[in-house]
Amino acid sequence: MAPPFAAVAPEPLKEASALNVLKVSRWTIAAFVLPCLLLYVGLVFAPIIVSFYNATLNWNGIGVAKHVGLDNFHRMFTNDSVFWPSVRRTFMLAGFSMLVQLPLALFVAILISRFVRKPNFLVSSYFMPVILSVAVIGQLWKTIYNPASQGGMINQILIKLGLDSWTHAWLSEPKVAIYAIIVIGLWQYLGYHILIQFTGIQNIPADIYEPAKIDGAEGFKADRYITLPMIVPIFKISVVLSFIGSLQSFDLIMVTTAGGPAHATDVLASHMYNISILSQKYGYGSAIACFLVVVCLAATVIINLLFNRIEKRYN
Amino acid sequence: MSQSASIAVREPAVQTRRRGFSFKKTIVFGFFGVLLVTQLYPLLWLLIYSVKTNEEILSGSFFALPASVQWSNYSNALAGGRYWHYLLNSVIVTSVTMVCVILLASLAAFAITRFRWKYGHIVMLIFLMGLMIPLQSTLLPLMLIFKNIHVLNTRWAMILPYIAFQIPIAVFIMSGFLRTIPHEIEESAIMDGANVFRIFRSIILPVSVPPIMTVCILTFINVWNEYILAATFISKEALKTLPFGVYSFVSQYSVNYGAIGAFLVLGALPVILVYFLLAEKITKGMVAGAVKG
Amino acid sequence: MNTTGKKVAGTAMAGFLAVSLAACGSSNNGNNGDAAASPSASASSTSSASASASAPASSSAASGEKVTITFQNIYPDPTDPKYNMLHKIVKQYETDHPNVHIELDSLNTDQQKQKLKTQAASNEVPDITIVNPSAQMKPYVDAGLFAPLNEMVEQNGLKDTFQSGILDYYTFDGNLYALPDGNNIGLLYYNKALFKQAGIEAPPATFEDLIADVKKLKDKGIQPMAIGEKDTWTGSFLFMNVLLRTNGGPGFLQDVVDGKKTFEDPAFKGAVDAFSQLVQAGAFQEGATSFDYNAGENLFKTGKAAMYYMGSWATGGIEVSDANKDGNVGVFKFPTVGGKGDPNQFMLAPGSAFAVSKNSKHLPETLDFLNYFMLNYPKEAFAVKGAVGVAQKVDGDFKAAGYSDMAMEVLAMFKDVTGGDISFDNTMNPATSQAHLSSIQNLFVSKEDPAAVAKEHQQAYEDNKE
Repeated sequence: MAPPFAAVAPEPLKEASALNVLKVSRWTIAAFVLPCLLLYVGLVFAPIIVSFYNATLNWNGIGVAKHVGLDNFHRMFTNDSVFWPSVRRTFMLAGFSMLVQLPLALFVAILISRFVRKPNFLVSSYFMPVILSVAVIGQLWKTIYNPASQGGMINQILIKLGLDSWTHAWLSEPKVAIYAIIVIGLWQYLGYHILIQFTGIQNIPADIYEPAKIDGAEGFKADRYITLPMIVPIFKISVVLSFIGSLQSFDLIMVTTAGGPAHATDVLASHMYNISILSQKYGYGSAIACFLVVVCLAATVIINLLFNRIEKRYN
Repeated sequence: MSQSASIAVREPAVQTRRRGFSFKKTIVFGFFGVLLVTQLYPLLWLLIYSVKTNEEILSGSFFALPASVQWSNYSNALAGGRYWHYLLNSVIVTSVTMVCVILLASLAAFAITRFRWKYGHIVMLIFLMGLMIPLQSTLLPLMLIFKNIHVLNTRWAMILPYIAFQIPIAVFIMSGFLRTIPHEIEESAIMDGANVFRIFRSIILPVSVPPIMTVCILTFINVWNEYILAATFISKEALKTLPFGVYSFVSQYSVNYGAIGAFLVLGALPVILVYFLLAEKITKGMVAGAVKG
Repeated sequence: MNTTGKKVAGTAMAGFLAVSLAACGSSNNGNNGDAAASPSASASSTSSASASASAPASSSAASGEKVTITFQNIYPDPTDPKYNMLHKIVKQYETDHPNVHIELDSLNTDQQKQKLKTQAASNEVPDITIVNPSAQMKPYVDAGLFAPLNEMVEQNGLKDTFQSGILDYYTFDGNLYALPDGNNIGLLYYNKALFKQAGIEAPPATFEDLIADVKKLKDKGIQPMAIGEKDTWTGSFLFMNVLLRTNGGPGFLQDVVDGKKTFEDPAFKGAVDAFSQLVQAGAFQEGATSFDYNAGENLFKTGKAAMYYMGSWATGGIEVSDANKDGNVGVFKFPTVGGKGDPNQFMLAPGSAFAVSKNSKHLPETLDFLNYFMLNYPKEAFAVKGAVGVAQKVDGDFKAAGYSDMAMEVLAMFKDVTGGDISFDNTMNPATSQAHLSSIQNLFVSKEDPAAVAKEHQQAYEDNKE
């Protein structure tokens, strides 16, 4: 009854397909893969191909479309004063999430697994903000960020502390607003990543720690040499999810500032909405969507390569 | 069983407990406590919100409590019995979606990570491309597809795209997990004469409980609150889901925030319930996975 | 569009509230049965394709065929009087026509817009839907998605129930494509008690007075004005009223479209300058750009702000708010700016309107229902105290029906209307409108050179010109 994870340490890191042992017929492969693949290709992949086509149109989504070749892309890259700042903010969201949120989540996950006997309640509770509708989250944080005169918590506290000069209209000052939103995102999804990484840590079989203990590796030392390397595959999932989440961040922006004031908090997803729905430039909006898809694909590949390297190094 | 479980899984709390009260532990639990307050506070806030008047909610003060408890928000939210049939629809749509996603994604992930075939990488790449397709940009093509296969205004118009949109992340998580399972297990199974379907059902699925639960939770959250797609493809009152109820309190020039709060509480209750149930399963599932085999 | 609006608006508003015998008679008829089509309908319907719609109900009733009409609408809130009104009329119609089922697809406004757009792109427009006037509905009309209502509106005297001129905003090339539920004007609400507290005797008659009053209020620690600028159209609506004054009258945007003026015209720069002065004087609440419409309006409703510029549709909500206790809220017309403009010219807001899909499977039944619906609309709206700003003539004694003094003041103001402009996004194409909305929102957070703002507008207009 050896746990299946007993040999887990070096194994997963090798390139898979060469090692795959199951030689099966084409029909079996089809039976396993096709239902999933067809549904996905038909309803997600095909529409995106259509989007790539739409991106070459000058079309309001209703009337007659005109082919304009790559004009939309050209305009997007060279003549759209909102586009690049939106890209920058999108990556800021992703960056803060990866550099602040994920390490913190990992830290908390390690602490929980070290100190808490019945972790369910704690992990579940930390997860709560994810479950609540963004509309609620937005309203809640508005009461935190509001100007003191409207009962905003932070500003009232600052004034009580005599730090009047530190007060801001957090969500409506162009330079501050995006950071205010980033903080909300970091807070809201912290529990999400704690959950994922905690799951990962729980997944590490206990008997790996046994020999280490004999070598005198215990506590944080054990975490450094065992938990961290072992958590890498799960951490990767966290990284990818956080990146996707940042690129898709739309709801939160819409409920807090709607991209304002004057585009100061627009990100790619909200810019796309403004263009295709509000400005009714469906073709141009599709071009932005395509950019999003390509960036995401590139990022996923880069993240994969990066982690393969990290995994190899630990190997 | 539970004994062997506690041996198999790392139980560091035991060691710390032996040391009894410690300064370090106090700090750590203090930290946990602070985090707990910040993460659980919105729940409490929502409860308070749901019994406030519109004016109190909109006044935007962080600390204010309602002058009097507005139970009418709840009676408004429940008015006309919509809540119950929206709830039923949400449960049907969400559960069918969850079951299908798990089944389809685990089959595909199994094939990609464990079968010896040439195109595994390409298929994986195709799935990866779908990780970040903005839903809004597919609405128009989907409308055309659904119009032609006559599923507009049926539950399938929600369920099919929900499954399809969850597939990439589900395959990603499932295959990420399956890659970590050593190949020896199916080697030995093959030697025992098991076919692939049996390997999948009785070896792979049982040890995959943790990622399946993760996928379950992700799917549940994404589908339960989904509104844009449902609102676009569903026009029949009889098929509408919970988010319709929430947004029904938003009129052109007025919003009934109190009723929204109440409806959100009513809508979140089942979520929280289901979530805590699943969370229990995750840890249990992991223990079971670690012991079996 | 705008020039016609200018011409007709005066007479349109003058006729508002006039007790129309025809309307009265026909709305009563509506309940008795639609078989009694008015003679004018049969007279005007010649050999047009939709002439068959003239007696639809009887034909379908005879066949007894089950018919489902999908009615997409923006009244989803069961706690909103309009919701009950809608359901009441629909129920009544279903009782009278047992073979017809009206499927109400009630959505919030943003979602409805997005849904209709998606549906339109795949030619799946619901039997009845909702659109905004003028420039906003034009793409749908150009794509040939809506059925003309010319014939239908003649039946049962429906056309005469509308205020004269209002239907022009929904008419393209002589064809009427939608019937509006509202017709509103932009005005300033003010809190009498807060004015008194700041020592302000009377509402300002000029923009300069307004700014002086803002400063007086500010000195007393009172928030002068409230706005929900997160929604961007709110600031634009106010800005356009300033422009209506600095331009000395309506039609500025139309002149731009016609190539007679550019955004770099002194009138436009003057409007930006005046608007900026108002912002710089501290008129609006701190953090205004993160306040949505409701949160902004709530400041005024709860007595935390002294003034509020909005369309007259806000009257109903303000009427019952804390601020209006003991008739504390008054209204005044937008003042002249730099001595220019006429306070009797208003920002006009023809409302969202009901349109019928050209491809409806049950076109005759749908037209018949909409006819019935609109005939009953003013009467039912009056009953739920929602008749301020209805697009149709309402007969009834508002005072006796319990409408507040403030509502009466607003109604009186309608009678003074001699013309005006419609909002920016009802005149310009969507992309130019978005650039404009963002540019105006920017004025709330930074002081800009009016010339630069004008240039930005002109650039956006030229970039997006078709």
